[in-house]
Amino acid sequence: MSASLRIALLLIAATFAGCGAPRPAPEALAKPRDAGERGFTGVFVPIGSFEDPAGPPPFQNTRWPANPPFTDWGAAESRRLTDPANLKVCSPNGPVFFMSEVGIFPLQFLEAPDQIVILREASGMPRRIYTDGRAHPEDLEPSWMGHSIGHFDGETLVVDTVGLNGQARAMNGVGSNARVSEDDAKPRMPSSEQLHLVERMKLVANGELLEDELTIVDPKTYTEPVILKHYFQRRPDIDMLEYYCNENPRDDTVVSGSTSK
Amino acid sequence: MRAFAVIGIAIVVAAAPSLVAAHHSFAAFDRGKKVVLVGVVKDFQWTNPHAWIQLVVLASNGDRTEWGVECGSPNMMARTGWKKDLLRPGDQVVVTVNPLLDGRPNGSLVSIQLPNGTVLGPGDAPPPKPLGSITTR
Repeated sequence: MSASLRIALLLIAATFAGCGAPRPAPEALAKPRDAGERGFTGVFVPIGSFEDPAGPPPFQNTRWPANPPFTDWGAAESRRLTDPANLKVCSPNGPVFFMSEVGIFPLQFLEAPDQIVILREASGMPRRIYTDGRAHPEDLEPSWMGHSIGHFDGETLVVDTVGLNGQARAMNGVGSNARVSEDDAKPRMPSSEQLHLVERMKLVANGELLEDELTIVDPKTYTEPVILKHYFQRRPDIDMLEYYCNENPRDDTVVSGSTSK
Repeated sequence: MRAFAVIGIAIVVAAAPSLVAAHHSFAAFDRGKKVVLVGVVKDFQWTNPHAWIQLVVLASNGDRTEWGVECGSPNMMARTGWKKDLLRPGDQVVVTVNPLLDGRPNGSLVSIQLPNGTVLGPGDAPPPKPLGSITTR
């Protein structure tokens, strides 16, 4: 048996020996877990909860505008997405919803030499931000997450995303609807294939928070840019879990109960 | 099935909405009404996008009604104290729900009291850490 094979087998054995064991305290784990050349690598939980969507001061999420600057098409599309018949409950998030939900599902940032990948626990598809200097392709095929390129402006990662297919859920809520009863009365925020998203991501609060300023330009849907800031807290104590949206696709409006003597 | 120690359904009108939601609108539920159900667990589905409790409730007239109770996602629940084996068939529990607006026996979980007295919610974001408490590099 070669030395490299023995090492590989030992690594496999060590891996399986760890299954089911309690997770070590974050301090006991290797530091690269939260390093990365730019300090972005790690698990981050969005600030805010259903009870407090903005989160505590001083770093607070921007709420969506109460009166969005809709075009005629945007207003009609917003109304269309309010109809439960148009629910798309397990369709992909799109890049804005991906980055602007409250803290129920963490994100994981991973830095590679040529790209930064962002995973979202509840999303089957990652965001992939190319940082190798490439431009957007000229013959871009429209897609759910679009095409993202990024570069660093000092410590700030500037991300430019185009090439959306316009089919994602409303940007401000799940299943093309908003997420809590309070928001059910609020306008859905659609996006179209004309969406051009520019983000400025940077670490703040001594690296404990990641700030993402989203400038949403979509002339088919909005007469002016919509700008939001969202914050994500670094959480080395949290591991990403699985989420398969179609595992148990019960509908809350379908009868699930029955009465008998 | 274990005997019902307490019978009935209590309806409480309250202004505060419950907050369970993950992947769809909860407009079908009456957020202004809370119904307290005392019943026996028939089934606990620890599944995404939502966990479900099937609960058999005995009314004073002898009717047995099976309610479907929608929880948050297991991911949200696990981060706020839940485990998949906290509920077992036969457990007697006290469940508060926002009921469906159309009156069918189906509700969105507000809170549940387990047989050991523990009270849990429907799942939410993990409690945030105070700034300054996280090792960054």
